[in-house]
Amino acid sequence: MQEFFGQNALYVVLAVVLVIWAGIFGYLYRVEKKIKKLEQQIGKP
Amino acid sequence: MTTLRADRRFSWLRSVIAVYAKDWHSELRTRYAISALLMFVVTTIAIIMFSLGSEDAPPEVLSGMLWVVVFFGAMSGLARTFVMEEERGTSMTLQLLTGPSAVYFGKLLFNLVLVFGLNSVTVVLYLLLINGFVVKTVSIFLVTLILGSIGFAAAATIIAAIIARASTKGTLYPVLSFPILLPLLLTVINATRMAGEGAAFSEAYGEFQLLISYIVVVIAASTVVFDYVWKD
Amino acid sequence: MALRILLGLWLAVVIVLGLGLPMVAEPQHWYDLPIVPGLEEKARIIFFHVPTAWLSVVGFVAALVYGIRYLRSRSIEDDSRSAASAGLGFLFCLLATVTGAIWAKSSWGTYWNWDPRETSIFVLLLIYGAYFALRSAVEVEEKRASLAAVYAVIAGVTMPFFVFIMPRVIASLHPEPILNAQGKIHMNTAMLLVFLASLAGFTGLYYWMWKVYVKVEQLRRRIQQPTGG
Repeated sequence: MQEFFGQNALYVVLAVVLVIWAGIFGYLYRVEKKIKKLEQQIGKP
Repeated sequence: MTTLRADRRFSWLRSVIAVYAKDWHSELRTRYAISALLMFVVTTIAIIMFSLGSEDAPPEVLSGMLWVVVFFGAMSGLARTFVMEEERGTSMTLQLLTGPSAVYFGKLLFNLVLVFGLNSVTVVLYLLLINGFVVKTVSIFLVTLILGSIGFAAAATIIAAIIARASTKGTLYPVLSFPILLPLLLTVINATRMAGEGAAFSEAYGEFQLLISYIVVVIAASTVVFDYVWKD
Repeated sequence: MALRILLGLWLAVVIVLGLGLPMVAEPQHWYDLPIVPGLEEKARIIFFHVPTAWLSVVGFVAALVYGIRYLRSRSIEDDSRSAASAGLGFLFCLLATVTGAIWAKSSWGTYWNWDPRETSIFVLLLIYGAYFALRSAVEVEEKRASLAAVYAVIAGVTMPFFVFIMPRVIASLHPEPILNAQGKIHMNTAMLLVFLASLAGFTGLYYWMWKVYVKVEQLRRRIQQPTGG
């Protein structure tokens, strides 16, 4: 396990960063959607 | 026509001096602030002496520490001129009596006097009591002191104006002032170190240029921006 | 919305390339990255650390610009934009400081060295901290906006002095000399491309986050004033 980690550390970092990025992106996307909904609701009256 | 214009400029100057004189007399009357500041300087230098003991700290460290004492002295005293207006409720009256620029320069003048007084005492005490601190090139040291003090007063005054309108004035003042004063601090510490090492006067030209431009820039920006701070 | 998905993919690709492209001593393929002596694999950090530092400066400048706008327009919208920029700038400044410290530890042994670059980013952090301390100390909205804008101006005016002070401070540990030692073009094409793509991508991310921030503030204000708008 440690050997694998030692040799492929970089790819582990890559995977971690991708996961973090997916999380951030997903979060931002959802917030944006909610904003759009709210804006439509408020824009009406 | 020319007499009218001259009168207007003259009256601005008179306003400035009036603002300054008001602050000055008010401080002389109570003397609380000045004595508190002096005690602060004495206590701080005493603490430094005790912590050094009989050891000698390297001269670079001592140069830096001098300005640390100056910094905190400034933080203890230079906000008073604006905070006092807020506390006494005289801020609005002052706004009605004279224009913002006169207020700014009057208080800047007050802080200048205060800073020069404070720093002179600090430096004298420091030179006398802290053994490792020697000044070889006196000219560099003197010019640094003068320019540094003006710079301190300039930055400290505008920040004081800002925090006087905020709520947590005491703790906020050093927090806001430190980043603004940092270029000044680094430069004067460097110049003081040079004075301690016996560098030639001409070697400090870069530092002096920096200090002068800092002063000019900060005062210029403050004059432009003071209106927005002062007017409610 | 499609633009945002594009941005998401763009940054994902940047991450994969930045971390995945092979690093060889003699770049032969167009996609090979050169090995920088002394840094080797750690040079990849340039794709991620530098953009965060760049964005912390962008945030500061934007906060300054919108602050000045507020002072002239007196429109609270401009203050929201200013505060939003500062908030993001602060976040990226924190990230830059932390990633820089981690990198410093792995490359030179200590987390912090007070070299000119590190000192500047730290000072920027202090300025951001001071800015938000000031904002939280003022209750009245208009006063808060004015004071914050004024502070941004004073800070903006004194910051450039650091550029002139830094040369007078002792030699830097920052690797720019190492990268620059290879002559004018310090990055080969592949590296430069990934770097610029990362810079662009992160700037896009900043812009998106900023817009979201500002819109949320707008909505909050609209909700609190149902008759206004």
